[in-house]
Amino acid sequence: MILQISYETCEEILKRYPKIETCLKCSLCSFKDGYGCYISNYGIGVDGAKFSDLDTYTYNVFGQQEPTKNPNLWLCVSCHRCHEICPYDVNPNEVVEALKAAAFETGHAPELIQGEIRNVLSTSYAFPIAQSQQTQRAKLGLPPLDKTGVDDLVKIARKTGLENRLAALEKKEGGN
Amino acid sequence: MANRRYAFFPGCFLPVRLPHIENVARKVLPNVDVELVDVKGFTCCPEPVGFGIHDKLTWTSVAARNISVAEEQGLDIMTLCNGCSYTLKQANKALKDDSELRDKVNQVIDDTGHQFKGSVNVRHFMEVFKEDIGEKKLQEAVKKPLDGLKVATHTGCHIMSPREVMNFDNVYNPTVLDKMVEVLGATPVDYDLKILCCGWTLMNYGPPEASYNLLGDKFRSMKAGGADCCTVICPQCFYQFDMGQVMASRRTNPGFNMPVLFYLQLLGLSMGYTLEDMQYNMHRVKDKGLEEKIRGR
Repeated sequence: MILQISYETCEEILKRYPKIETCLKCSLCSFKDGYGCYISNYGIGVDGAKFSDLDTYTYNVFGQQEPTKNPNLWLCVSCHRCHEICPYDVNPNEVVEALKAAAFETGHAPELIQGEIRNVLSTSYAFPIAQSQQTQRAKLGLPPLDKTGVDDLVKIARKTGLENRLAALEKKEGGN
Repeated sequence: MANRRYAFFPGCFLPVRLPHIENVARKVLPNVDVELVDVKGFTCCPEPVGFGIHDKLTWTSVAARNISVAEEQGLDIMTLCNGCSYTLKQANKALKDDSELRDKVNQVIDDTGHQFKGSVNVRHFMEVFKEDIGEKKLQEAVKKPLDGLKVATHTGCHIMSPREVMNFDNVYNPTVLDKMVEVLGATPVDYDLKILCCGWTLMNYGPPEASYNLLGDKFRSMKAGGADCCTVICPQCFYQFDMGQVMASRRTNPGFNMPVLFYLQLLGLSMGYTLEDMQYNMHRVKDKGLEEKIRGR
């Protein structure tokens, strides 16, 4: 069992993803040349962590006392290679995504992520829109960027609670 | 032959950061009887790596709304992006398979005036080529074969996994894009790091040095395979190999000089369009050798 995190969090995660317990630390998830997790082979942790066959990205993500505060969570691109190659069907990707979701709830997601969500809800695009992009599109004979769905996105975010969550995070940041 | 009509789902990255590739798509696809229907009201798919992970219900609901916009037109969706395909195909499958989730999501999107019914499919353009158009039809559109051009293919991650949903190609030995390159008269090269990711998240969320190391290994491997250029089917992979290569090359001497072409650009060149028609002037990485091979046909 590779989890070394505090008892309460560990129990909570194990309850949701019991397959974690079948991990034998075989390191196949870090297999080189694209067969396994490319972060394990090329990634340098945001906190300076070095990944290797003996200390893979998966172990780094699972082996934290406070897993949702681990900045390296956000390196995962959800390519599913760790899951594809795992002989025990552990699916680390699923756990990483759950930890990212929990990190967002507690305000530990990078600013870039919150910014992206706000962009989507205000423009319907994940990136900021500049006039120069509209001009370039016009020069290329392309229709202007369509923002007609924005109102619907706001309605959805209101209903799922995402809007309130963003407001609460903003308030928390403002208070710090 | 009647046109095959699809609701064109442009996504975010392509129309905002790579509009020249959208221009190429609109130019080239009608030549293989694909009609891109512009549908009002599509939004971000939403993006799977950032938006998708935080709140699965919001993610699925926004995707469901997008799919329902296409359903109202009675059209399958066509994307030009691995990430959009990843989001929309997963949501489409989950909502079709799970009636409880479908009811929950339909309640969430009820105020928008849309409802998910499960009546259409989501297709990446390469799936459309492979399954709807077919190699024969593509070959008929080739007027100036890309003879002598050696191409390193990079299929990308999100169009292949999770395989039970994407069902596109073999994750460890992808061959679909190689076959599609052969159809154009070019030669796909074999190279060691063919299935290595483009390294998108390392550039964005990790120390960029890590991303530069990955790109360096990837381009050296393509060069060792004898490639004149590489080809991709995903806007993020394109951006990483073009703009990312410029960044990575600043730290090496000489640079990698590995031009990248979106597959639709290669298709257009094989149809007889010029490099200028295919918006090659918008690329950051250009190579004289490639240009001579294309113009010398």
